[in-house]
Amino acid sequence: MLAVEATDVSKTFGTVRAVDDITVRVAQGEVYGVLGPNGAGKTTFLRMLFGLIRPDHGTIRVFGRTWEHDDVAVLDGVAGFIESPKFYPYLTGRQNLEGLVLLDGGVRPGLLEEVIELVDLGDRVDLEVGGYSYGMRQRLGVAASLLREPRLLVLDEPANGLDPAGIRDMRALVKRLAASGLTVLLSSHHMDEVEEICDNVTIMTRGRVAFHGSITDLRAMAPAPGYDLRTDADDRALLVAADHPRVQVDLRDDLGLVVTATETDAAAYVADLCARGIALRALVPTRTPLEALFFMLTDEPETDDRAHPDGGAAGRPAGATTGAR
Amino acid sequence: MSTTTPTVAVTTPPAVRPGLGGVVRWETRKLRHQKRAWAVLLGALLGPVPVVMVIGAQSRPPKDSLFGRFATENGFALALLVLGFASQWVLPLLTAIVAGDIFASEDQHGTWKTVLTRSTGRGLLFWAKTLVAGAFAVLVLVVLAASTIAAALLIVGHQPVIGLSGQTVPSASALALVSASWATVLAPTLGFTALAILLSVWSRNPAVGIAAPVVVAMVMQLVGSLGGIEGLRPFLLTTSFESWHGLLTAPRFTGPLVEGVVVCGVWVVVSLTVAYVLLRRRDITGG
Amino acid sequence: MTTLRSLTPRAVGVALAVLLAVVGLGAIAVAANGGPGSSTVTRARLERSLPVVFANVYAEQARLLGHTGVTPASLDAQAMCDKGGAQSADVGPGSTWVCLMSWTDTNVPMPSEGYGKFELNVHSNDCYTAGGPSKLTGYLTLTDTRGREVSNPAFEFDGCFDPGGDDTPTGHTFPSVTSVISTTAAVDARGRVGVQLGCGTGADGCVGTATLTAGSTTLGTVPYEMTEESTTMLHFPTASPAGATEVELTLTPATGYASSSGSTLPVQ
Repeated sequence: MLAVEATDVSKTFGTVRAVDDITVRVAQGEVYGVLGPNGAGKTTFLRMLFGLIRPDHGTIRVFGRTWEHDDVAVLDGVAGFIESPKFYPYLTGRQNLEGLVLLDGGVRPGLLEEVIELVDLGDRVDLEVGGYSYGMRQRLGVAASLLREPRLLVLDEPANGLDPAGIRDMRALVKRLAASGLTVLLSSHHMDEVEEICDNVTIMTRGRVAFHGSITDLRAMAPAPGYDLRTDADDRALLVAADHPRVQVDLRDDLGLVVTATETDAAAYVADLCARGIALRALVPTRTPLEALFFMLTDEPETDDRAHPDGGAAGRPAGATTGAR
Repeated sequence: MSTTTPTVAVTTPPAVRPGLGGVVRWETRKLRHQKRAWAVLLGALLGPVPVVMVIGAQSRPPKDSLFGRFATENGFALALLVLGFASQWVLPLLTAIVAGDIFASEDQHGTWKTVLTRSTGRGLLFWAKTLVAGAFAVLVLVVLAASTIAAALLIVGHQPVIGLSGQTVPSASALALVSASWATVLAPTLGFTALAILLSVWSRNPAVGIAAPVVVAMVMQLVGSLGGIEGLRPFLLTTSFESWHGLLTAPRFTGPLVEGVVVCGVWVVVSLTVAYVLLRRRDITGG
Repeated sequence: MTTLRSLTPRAVGVALAVLLAVVGLGAIAVAANGGPGSSTVTRARLERSLPVVFANVYAEQARLLGHTGVTPASLDAQAMCDKGGAQSADVGPGSTWVCLMSWTDTNVPMPSEGYGKFELNVHSNDCYTAGGPSKLTGYLTLTDTRGREVSNPAFEFDGCFDPGGDDTPTGHTFPSVTSVISTTAAVDARGRVGVQLGCGTGADGCVGTATLTAGSTTLGTVPYEMTEESTTMLHFPTASPAGATEVELTLTPATGYASSSGSTLPVQ
């Protein structure tokens, strides 16, 4: 039985097709990423999963249950939060959690203290949530989710709005939770986050699935990484490139060169430059392969009114939509 | 974040389902932490005292209102005068302050997604909130009635009062009749509670949920007092606010009372049904 | 439904539903009650309610004054009510209700027409405020048996009646009072005298003849016919004799009541 099985799901708000016929399958125990730029439909999809939004079309099964047949029982064993978690500002963190426990029908003794300890809220759990910082609310959101002792944890942009230390902590927590056998469904607009944590990924853009598969498959599709190269003789360096067929070197409009090649090929090319007496001034990696691919996949076909400044430069992979459906 | 390994193990999903009692406890707890709920109760408790003192001290009794002509010299009459006044907009407002906010505040705080991603369905949450709002309306009415009657009797006195058939009602039965009269406005008050809930669910805005029932009450009052469209009168919520008149006549008549309870019941059922359907069907996109 | 809802703006949909509900309710209300004129405020209900309320407050007044033998039952009060004269239907709230009421109290005799006139302000909630003639019901305050100034319960009083109460006609009627409205006899260029008559609230209006005399000269006898709460101008055919300073009008009613003693009017 799949943890999540969403089939041909669509949702339209007014004239905006927020989710357009997507299919997502999440196996139990895996860490699954839903990746896409802001506005790609990730959050709408997760809201439909939680029953907050009713799909116009398609079915969503969570551990085999559907909203049509099982109503709120769909959420048995499911927890998480959508966008930034929200609480009652006039109650303390603890009072909020205690209230949510009432809505869950109770928890096993001691769990409340365990999760408060786990997210490291400390004494601040007894302060009114109205005075919480963004990060504290995020931790309270994680605590609220873990109170349900979920089998499936859904996290929508969990690192959003956190400082670098907070992001690191959050990722560490997700990894630990995943290691305990939990199924995690994570949405993000950062490829590196998904790449670091997830086994499988769905890349969404404009409500559609642009890629669907494992991170390994995604890596295989990735284009060569790019580097910015500065030498003391760019025109000569360009000529040297002719001897390296697997290295593509282009002259940049302003100054310097753009090198597109695998790490090994690029190293051989640079060593050759040095051997020919061309001094290296700078070699800067501009884009990781997956990032490059992400921008390619989410680049809008035909009418590009979204204008991704980075994505626009990259080419469009021939098989960009092979993973869809 | 703590760096210890999480002790939260993957277990079977919770088989427990919250009952209505648990959700009602949660809603009551939230209400207890809201200043406005306490302000309403405090207002209902203390508000009648200065009102009674000011009216009781008037040199010219407010004859334009029923029982006004005896209000400065008779506590029972004064308690009934205040009842007439409270029915105009005070009771709709007092109940709407909680009922008009109880759903819309979830929109205001963006917490629908928080509560609806637990094990409580929308239906259960709806009934729990409705129950709490209704119970609060009852509480407010009881406090307001007790405070008004006590203040009026203590400050102005408890002489026999002249009823609406001109009959003299002795003090002992007057207290029972005045209390019963206050009790009869429970039906329309709950009608306005249900209306406030509907407006709260529909508008998703606490201000609308609180203010609109008061405006509706005033419009109904106006429509009910106009000649020519009196066919509408029996169907208005505000008409039931006056059905206690029959208790103060001799012989008593209870036709309007029964009719009022039925009409208010229909209002409650229709309002709650529409509110329930709206809440069940709505997409929670905010928060 | 979901697609329909997402296509239609929520506010428009609900506003439309509310409007439909209101119109529907209104239509049901009108259909169920037989039109907009179907008020619960009716002549028969007032005629049943007012005497009861009045008898109670009047008996209370008598108790305060120390009058003995006055009970609500002994008063045997009866009323006839009318709204806005002969033209308007006797139904619906308003401040133009007039009720004529008779009762028996040996301490305060009735005027010769046999009733007192009460003015009522009747509200749509089936309650009213009534006030009667001060000659019969007294003033705002009265002096009770212990010499204290207390408010007079019968001066002005409130009452409510059952909107579902008996609505069959009571059959109580009182005659209209025909009265001379003119304070002077108007004489035109040819010496003819004109006098204005009024007909008060009551059953069947005022019909009869009026005879005008100036000293020993009869200036004429003319018939009059008025609906209730209306006036008419009578012109007498014979010119007033020169030097006459006053004329006397005698009414002989066929329908309605008129004082048997004539009215003396100065000539202008």
